[in-house]
Amino acid sequence: MAKPSAFQQLEKLGEGTYATVYKGRNRQTGELVALKEIHLDSEEGTPSTAIREISLMKELKHENILSLVDVIHTENKLMLVSEFMDMDLKKYMDTRGGDRGQLDPATIKSFVYQLLRGIAYCHEKRILHRDLKPQNLLISKHGVLKLADFGLARAFGIPVNTFSAEVVTLWYRAPDVLLGSRTYNTSIDIWSIGCIMAEMFTGRPLFPGTTNEDELKRIFRLLGTPSERTWPGISHLPEYKPQTTVYPAQDLAQVLPQIDPLGIDLLKGMLQLRPEKRISAADALRHAWFYDLPQVRAQAQLLQQQQLHQQAQMARTYGGTVQGNQTGY
Amino acid sequence: MAYPSHTSDDTFFVESDEPCQQQQQRINMRDAAKMIARNKQEMIANELSRLAGDEYLEDIMQHMRHMEDETLPDANLIDMQREIQWFMRPYLIDFLIEAHAAFSLLPETLFLTVNLLDRYCSKRVVYKQHYQLVGCAALLIAAKYGDKKDRVPQINELNNMCCGLYDAGMFTQMEMHVLNTLDWNIGHPTVDFFTQLIVAEERDTREVEHMAAYICEIALYHRDFVSTKPSIMARASLALGRAILGKPEVNDGEWDHVENVTLLTLSQHLHQPSVTLSRKYSSTYYSRVSAKLADFLAQQAAIARRGAPPSPPCESALTSKPANVYSTPHKGLGAVPGVADGYMTPPITPDGACFGQMKEYQIVPPRCPLTPTPPPTHHVSYPQQHHMAAGPSYFEGSQAHMAY
Repeated sequence: MAKPSAFQQLEKLGEGTYATVYKGRNRQTGELVALKEIHLDSEEGTPSTAIREISLMKELKHENILSLVDVIHTENKLMLVSEFMDMDLKKYMDTRGGDRGQLDPATIKSFVYQLLRGIAYCHEKRILHRDLKPQNLLISKHGVLKLADFGLARAFGIPVNTFSAEVVTLWYRAPDVLLGSRTYNTSIDIWSIGCIMAEMFTGRPLFPGTTNEDELKRIFRLLGTPSERTWPGISHLPEYKPQTTVYPAQDLAQVLPQIDPLGIDLLKGMLQLRPEKRISAADALRHAWFYDLPQVRAQAQLLQQQQLHQQAQMARTYGGTVQGNQTGY
Repeated sequence: MAYPSHTSDDTFFVESDEPCQQQQQRINMRDAAKMIARNKQEMIANELSRLAGDEYLEDIMQHMRHMEDETLPDANLIDMQREIQWFMRPYLIDFLIEAHAAFSLLPETLFLTVNLLDRYCSKRVVYKQHYQLVGCAALLIAAKYGDKKDRVPQINELNNMCCGLYDAGMFTQMEMHVLNTLDWNIGHPTVDFFTQLIVAEERDTREVEHMAAYICEIALYHRDFVSTKPSIMARASLALGRAILGKPEVNDGEWDHVENVTLLTLSQHLHQPSVTLSRKYSSTYYSRVSAKLADFLAQQAAIARRGAPPSPPCESALTSKPANVYSTPHKGLGAVPGVADGYMTPPITPDGACFGQMKEYQIVPPRCPLTPTPPPTHHVSYPQQHHMAAGPSYFEGSQAHMAY
């Protein structure tokens, strides 16, 4: 564990509910870092958010997840040292985006792919992020996206345990959570990704609700008001109230003309009202929308080569082509 | 109306009876609606679990097995502690089980607490006057990791449970010390993570689940299981639970040597569980499994007596030696076989004893009013003597201050 003096504190990068983030420099190596300062309460000790964030981040080593370098503890504060990233997605859209903050389709596709890879990795490690939003996605100057801020993250069990419904920033909160479901799962993060994807195309948040009810209304206005018929069990959710106006579902392709048909198909998968119908991160990564991404193409080629190689090897082993093996060994 | 009225007395009854019935009906209706809602929610939850399971189970299991290896305490290293001895541990476990219940924390929080405690004790020298403090810090961290914020114990509440033994600042200090010692690696696959999986897979009943949980918590008291992998513990405790409750065996694949040994050792440690623990599991909420286990053991003993009268004692798998949780065989002191075999005192923490007394050189008297008991003397040097006498509680508040 390093001493606090090992890092030079530079300008403030942002302020969260329980921490302040500064830019910092490693005095020895000159390397830039991010310093997240957490105030320690003398009454209650280390905040649970810090315990969860640090212990969960230590389990997560992935190129699309912000890596924690060190934890420094002093008398009254805790400092998380992580790699430095140039900006968050919100700022990226404000500075690099078009007139309204929208990004170009190729960048969006790359970001959504990296976001899904990061979250698929979390889910494989039984960790829910529970606070995906543009401010918590960091972008490097090379266009690498990393998930950050695991202050609300937590481990889940199988079968799912019950959780608090007080998670995720309102605009990115899934309808089942808005309806008070406490048995949500990996699907909660997928909804947020859907919202973020749409926001990157338009430059505007998809569902900028002001209250829980307003948020639900905005969602239903776009995706149609659910009923017991379209969503069995919905009326039993704690916060369910029969809606006064019943909206029909709109055509996403018409509302979001910026997105190509394949992209719309993926978005539909992520923005399913019913959590069990929502696409998983692993499946989303296999979606055809990503086929033209350079890294996906390279991977597919590699796979194809491996298959060809295997076939050739089998052919050699059996002394003939694979198709020819009915002639006998 | 239930019965026709003949006298004014009857009318009185009928009148008072009717609203009562209606009320009851209303309550029943409300209960029924709630139950339906709960069932529906459970169905949705199950469906969600199945989906997450289908997609990620294999990866998650791989990760959990890795984590399990990384976060296993080492009983051999705990043996090397100079001040704290194994016979002290059951008192601390009793205290933690009561505190855990008093704060209504999640089941896994208890297992995580004991894991953190043992991992810390595998790494650092712990003075006996700090043993309970380490336990409290572990409980605090475990609750902060997994429980809802409003359930996390307040430090002053914990302090009260310790009868003001420590300064309030010592809790936060120890908490940070434990976190740093464990390098902030708090995530640990507890036994109930694996139990839940197996229960869902084998469709075990609630009763079996409760019996297995009871057995796992009995195991928390014993050195033999400190370094047992939770996945093995889950499998063994469920198999044992099914056997005790007369449920059919399940076909869950091969059992390797370690799993068989764990199962056998577990079956030998079921006698005279901690009173604190058996009381916890005597409620209907836990299907009264402690009574069922006691009945089962009595039955086994009777069969054994009939089978081989009158002596020597039968050495069947489930009725062998009583659990000797207090001995510290590694020190070459407590391992007096005659005493151990004849020992029938359950690991009780009698009311009125106080942890504070352990600190013989401390002048500060315990703050909580307690029935005085003679302070234990030389218990460290002669652990076997200590439990022959009425065992004093090393952890005050275990029973006196924490009614459920």
